[in-house]
Amino acid sequence: MAQIELRSLAKSYKTGKVLDGLSLSVDEGEIVCVFGPSGAGKTVLLRLIAGVEELDAGSIFLEGRDVTEAPPETRGVGIAFQNFALFPHMSAFDNIGSALTARGASKATIKAKVEKVASLLKISHVLGHAPRELSNGQKQRTALARALAADPKIVLLDDPLRNVDAKLRYEMRLELPSLLRASGATVLYVTQDYKEAMAIGDRIAVLLDGRFEQIAKPSAIYRDPTSMGVARLFGDPTINLIPIRPRAGDGGTLCEIGGATVALGASHAAAAGRAVLLGLRPEALQVTDAAGADGFPVEVIAVTPLNEKTVLLMRTPEGQEIFASEAGVENEARRPGPAFAHFDPARALAFDEASGTRIGGGA
Amino acid sequence: MNVVTSGTRAMQEIALSLNGVDKIYAPTAKAPVHAVKALDLDVRKGEIIALLGSSGCGKTSTLRMIAGFESVTRGAISLAGRRIEALAPAKRGVAMAFEGYSLYPPLSVRDNIAFALKSARLSAREADKKVAEVAALVEIEPILDRYPSSISGGQQQRASLARALVRPADLYLLDEPMGQLEPRLRALLRGRLKRLLTERGMTSIFVTHDQTEANALADRVAVMEGGVLQQLANQTELKERPANLYVATFIGEPPMNVFDARAEVGERVRFEVANGPKLDFSANEFSEAARSAIAKRSRVVVGVRPHDVRLNAGSNEARVASNQWLGDQSHIAFEVAGKLMVTVVFSETVAARGATLRYDIPSAKLHVFDAETGKAVSHGSEAA
Repeated sequence: MAQIELRSLAKSYKTGKVLDGLSLSVDEGEIVCVFGPSGAGKTVLLRLIAGVEELDAGSIFLEGRDVTEAPPETRGVGIAFQNFALFPHMSAFDNIGSALTARGASKATIKAKVEKVASLLKISHVLGHAPRELSNGQKQRTALARALAADPKIVLLDDPLRNVDAKLRYEMRLELPSLLRASGATVLYVTQDYKEAMAIGDRIAVLLDGRFEQIAKPSAIYRDPTSMGVARLFGDPTINLIPIRPRAGDGGTLCEIGGATVALGASHAAAAGRAVLLGLRPEALQVTDAAGADGFPVEVIAVTPLNEKTVLLMRTPEGQEIFASEAGVENEARRPGPAFAHFDPARALAFDEASGTRIGGGA
Repeated sequence: MNVVTSGTRAMQEIALSLNGVDKIYAPTAKAPVHAVKALDLDVRKGEIIALLGSSGCGKTSTLRMIAGFESVTRGAISLAGRRIEALAPAKRGVAMAFEGYSLYPPLSVRDNIAFALKSARLSAREADKKVAEVAALVEIEPILDRYPSSISGGQQQRASLARALVRPADLYLLDEPMGQLEPRLRALLRGRLKRLLTERGMTSIFVTHDQTEANALADRVAVMEGGVLQQLANQTELKERPANLYVATFIGEPPMNVFDARAEVGERVRFEVANGPKLDFSANEFSEAARSAIAKRSRVVVGVRPHDVRLNAGSNEARVASNQWLGDQSHIAFEVAGKLMVTVVFSETVAARGATLRYDIPSAKLHVFDAETGKAVSHGSEAA
């Protein structure tokens, strides 16, 4: 049964529409990441579900119950915000136990629950500390522990790793999914980091311009985005978009890039005759010195290592800058200068230039 | 082929030299802050150096001392053959893009950039061309005729970068040059900037806390921590031969996996990790120097980079705690020795959570550190 069900939510402010017809259904124990650029309305959405903000239209069901009109304290959700929002005058223990205290739980129950969640989050040794004595990482875990302590069925996390350093963020990215699964809660997790969304979410709901543009498993969204808007939000460096005008030719669809004719294969037939942006992820481009079949000429501008990959900045004969990335750093033989780029048509995505809708490639 | 690389440039000539440079803030106060300690640094002509470290490591103080915004407590700084540490900033022959070294408010962005060209005595046409070029590079053409107060912080930052890059100088000092940019533009600027700096042989030092930036742009990276230069090396060297545990675990994304171990050197070289991998190698996998260096320590820290752990090989086994696919790479975490050991594979690798997989840590990829000092003992078969 869906634990969180959003039906056609709408919300506007004086400045304009923020959310417009959002629907989403999250199963019990599932983690769904709400991902989108800043200003997309992610935080507003969480506030609507928590009940601290009122809907203009639509309805919200939590654990099968219509809570659209219910006051926040009756909705039974646990929340953690990106700025931690700990009570400064209370110890970590009291912060974590605050929801239980408010509910009138016994001292023994509070102690047992706080200690259990603290041990799960590895903060047992700092329970007596005040927030100002905690590191950012410990504050973040304390805020998370507070959200989980009362065993809520539903947990809302608003970009909880935003304010912790890169190293801890990476560690938490690895650990959070199992911690959340161990709690058994159904989770809506807001982030603006695509890697975090892919690492943590069972599914990702991409929020763009107040709408869910796509809701799918991480690997499906990366490989099979429904629109250019979604495709551009994933990948490092981001996807290349090359303007082309595909045409039907001998043995399939063809296009011209940099004066070379490139075969696009069968999956791009629908793109023929239209103004198209060809989406090529950097890792889908191979760069060689020789032209070979289906290569198009490029000028390698710079070679920049990126972790264990090598990123090439290249310029097409039309003057467009594009990226290719190769696994490994051994490829130091690659130098600036003329070269040829190739790609497997099965990994190319075609988007309608005007609407951004995908019209070819992908699954 | 149009070859423009660091390797082929004549870079043997030293452009900038720091000798025994110290920076102590409030030296007479009860608690003076020793921000930079006995720093020696030689930068070759045409070289790009990154000063990398977390906040408070001393990187910004170093940059500000070179620029002349901060006095040098002790030591000497030479640039292009002359001592500069006592000179006013404007007399040092240095171009800079700094936070707080702001654009002139009464001048448009275009005039701010052109003003930096004044001493070059170019014709108006040449000057216009140079301004247009650098404006295109940092993508500020549409705002050239606006005034600093009417543009965003990110645009001001790029305008200030353009102003520094446009003029001839013996040294370019750039403070977090790509701070607030969206990801695509940041990747573009990295490539363009690297091309510009290498092609024109512009000696540069930039400060960053982002190792991705440092590795992408710099010929060599100076890793700083606690006011001390930990290591100055190119990125391959930093990864393959880190000088100490700090550098080893700071450089690399994700960071190196490390385990406390007890070393035993005889006919075999063994590292005993409590509840951890079996690390048992034939003695000839290590050079004599490496063996004797390891034998001197009983307690060590052993490390392996995530990209160097081999899956479905060797005799060690561990349970998969998580497997995260990021579109172009899988990050798989194993439960090893009471923590998570991460491996990275550039493919979508099937490894279900809870499954047990075999893995191997080859001796060639093993790093050994002294448990007390953190100093590197050996890298692969060689002594550090």
